[in-house]
Amino acid sequence: MIRLPRTCYEAIIEHARREAPFECCGLLAGKRDRVERVYPITNRADQAADLFAERGLMPRAGADPATLPAERYFMDPEELFRALREVEAQALDHLANYHSHPATPARPSRTDIEFAAYWPHVYHLICSLADPDQPDLRAFRIVDGRVTEIPIVVEDE
Amino acid sequence: MAVTLLIPAPLRRFTNEQASVQVEAGTVAEALAALDAEYPGIRERICEPDGRLRRFVSVFVNGRDVRSLQGLETPLRDGDEVGIIPAMAGGQ
Repeated sequence: MIRLPRTCYEAIIEHARREAPFECCGLLAGKRDRVERVYPITNRADQAADLFAERGLMPRAGADPATLPAERYFMDPEELFRALREVEAQALDHLANYHSHPATPARPSRTDIEFAAYWPHVYHLICSLADPDQPDLRAFRIVDGRVTEIPIVVEDE
Repeated sequence: MAVTLLIPAPLRRFTNEQASVQVEAGTVAEALAALDAEYPGIRERICEPDGRLRRFVSVFVNGRDVRSLQGLETPLRDGDEVGIIPAMAGGQ
């Protein structure tokens, strides 16, 4: 179970809507199973075409890097580094990564599962905007390619 | 130069769960070599067999990505902090 204050839940959905049709991404930090802070990070997938191509994870051959953020995310490394330092400075734990699927369901894709290999100890949250009026936020544990859904409890403060 | 390497959580199993490691090094490449001498196997998580930085790993000197500096040859000064982070990436 991951506990999410309503303000954090709404911040993630707001971020996803703001970036659509591009994917948004960021970190969640807190203590034990309760999120306390949301750290939005810039999606730099447009600069990471080589990273995806190297693994055969480009959406299609010859895809225009400028439109990659609609189907891929790559967190800006310097922002990510600063955010992780900030999490430690606040004596919080890095609990989860989040990103959006602007047009597809809230399920980890092959690309999500492959890159999650580097972060097996955190949850992976996905916010689907496939139905724009009904955002669907789900959390997963992804370890050795195995995906397990984890319940999200939204808490009113 | 005495520098501090900041080890990301996914690589701490190589460093007995230590979040930072002090080494003596004049460049980022030397710092990674010194880290690997102390904790064998960690460098191959960061660098390709030919020594290049792996594409899904970023290395920082005082918060700046070495890809925008001089790569692994970026010089280090006493007290510098060398950060290491695997990419966070994915997508539908």
